[in-house]
Amino acid sequence: MTAVAAKPAAGSAMNPTAMVVGVILLIILLVIAAFVSPGLGLMALIGVIIGGVLIGFGVHFVPVGGAPAAMGQAPGIATGVAMLAAGAGLAGLFGGAWAASQGFAIAIITGGVGGGMMMAITCMMVNFVYVFGMGIPAASGKVAKDPITGDTQPEYKSQGTEGHGLPFVSFVGGVTGGILGGAGGTLIYLELLSLYQATLPNVMNASSAQVLPIAVSVAGTFAIGMFLVNAVLTAYNITGTIEGPHDPKFKRWPRAIVASAVASALCGLVAILIVTI
Amino acid sequence: MEQIVFGIGITALAGALATVAGSAEDTESNIGSQGDPNSQVQLAPQMGFVHRIFNKAVAGEPPAYGLWCALGAGLAWAFLAMQINAVLAIVLGSLLAVFVQGIYATTAYLGRTASLSKFGQPVYVDILKSMTTVAMAHAFVAIFCTVTICYLINVALGHPFPLPLLGFIWGITLGAAGSATGNPYYGKERQYQNQKFGAGVPISASGNIVRYAEAGERNSLDNGFFTAKFGGPASGLCFGLIVFLELWRTIVFDNISPGIGAIVVGILIILIFTVIDRYIEVWARKNYGPYTAPVKEAAP
Repeated sequence: MTAVAAKPAAGSAMNPTAMVVGVILLIILLVIAAFVSPGLGLMALIGVIIGGVLIGFGVHFVPVGGAPAAMGQAPGIATGVAMLAAGAGLAGLFGGAWAASQGFAIAIITGGVGGGMMMAITCMMVNFVYVFGMGIPAASGKVAKDPITGDTQPEYKSQGTEGHGLPFVSFVGGVTGGILGGAGGTLIYLELLSLYQATLPNVMNASSAQVLPIAVSVAGTFAIGMFLVNAVLTAYNITGTIEGPHDPKFKRWPRAIVASAVASALCGLVAILIVTI
Repeated sequence: MEQIVFGIGITALAGALATVAGSAEDTESNIGSQGDPNSQVQLAPQMGFVHRIFNKAVAGEPPAYGLWCALGAGLAWAFLAMQINAVLAIVLGSLLAVFVQGIYATTAYLGRTASLSKFGQPVYVDILKSMTTVAMAHAFVAIFCTVTICYLINVALGHPFPLPLLGFIWGITLGAAGSATGNPYYGKERQYQNQKFGAGVPISASGNIVRYAEAGERNSLDNGFFTAKFGGPASGLCFGLIVFLELWRTIVFDNISPGIGAIVVGILIILIFTVIDRYIEVWARKNYGPYTAPVKEAAP
């Protein structure tokens, strides 16, 4: 079969074999963590995996239109999936890390709210530019009616385009994605920070106060790195652009969850090994 | 109380700096033609439209600004460790980061444009000479303001992250906010000024970007001049609001009710922006109206 004759639906199909292989890999990585660092290391790895999955799932909500959105040819925000998700998630991580001393739950919620705020402001400004700068109303190309507001969409699509701007459902999706990303990034940071705070004094033969700046820096760097890993993985799953939770591509999320879990487990294991070996 | 007032002052200063940074970032990316609209600059010669627009999009704006701001902040941090005055350290750090941006812009323009030689697109040396420095100047403003914000957050407000990490985080956020807000204005409103106002660019018109100005051929400085009137300030407003509100909710409300205060205010801010967004969407639907008559649903 040639590439031309191949069916285009392959992108959305689930591959059970790959999913099973992914789950087996995940279990192997968890067993290695349990063997190398039972207790604290294993708990940190589980936290990192949950954080990575939250990021991977959250990125699916973010309405990204890429280059076509920059010409008003497709709905969404005119930038890359990974970049926008990283911007929102890292803004959340900034807030979450600031609130780290106030407890686990408070820090994670603060991180989530920070990511959601960044997306709410950005999505509002996108519609502001479309409406007041370019005179273009928002219209979805994937659904006839906005699932939240019930607004009809096709008649607001200009000729020769797939829609433009951010319909309300995309705005809500963007904020939801920001919240999940910010919370996931903060969770990874907190798990690694607690691990490094406990282990670095022994590894470096120094006091807790002396290792704190190093623990914060390394945990922050790993959290950012894992954020980018999960955001890019999900960008591949989405294949470029997505309108939000109402987009048919959103249904691909189970595949990204498994991939994010495996990638986070592998990266998390590296983050754990640097202080346990 | 004194600490809260000091924090609010720093927050206001950071917000103002962020507004300038966002505006400069968007104008820089439009003069250099970085970000998603550059797909059309790359595509145009392939469709037979040779042009004099700069072309430096190797990476998207967020990772590019993440790199430059992290570089600026990292170098400033090193200079600070050498006991150099903070203002001088930030200026020197930003200056060195801008040289990296200049190298990136030069090699990107030469490489990307040379790859289009088979479509008859020349490499214009005068474009390289006149636009690179202007893009670098705008990048300096954006990087300097962002690194200063990071310094204020780290030193005056006591955020635990070191300066380079803050530079990376806020650099990525700056690029994300600037590209999300500014790209449509450059991509649709400027590059396709020959298309109808108040409608998206038909997919069939892709690559047919405007190449002529009032006198002679249009270049990227004309594009920067145009977008600096709306896209730039809108991007600045976006990044300024993000930085200001993120710091404000923490500085003020964490002192009133530790932990919970910042969360509640953050949720309220999200709700307020949701209402504003919905208002804008409905306003546009009412005032601009549909492009075609609504399709009537079949009677049951």
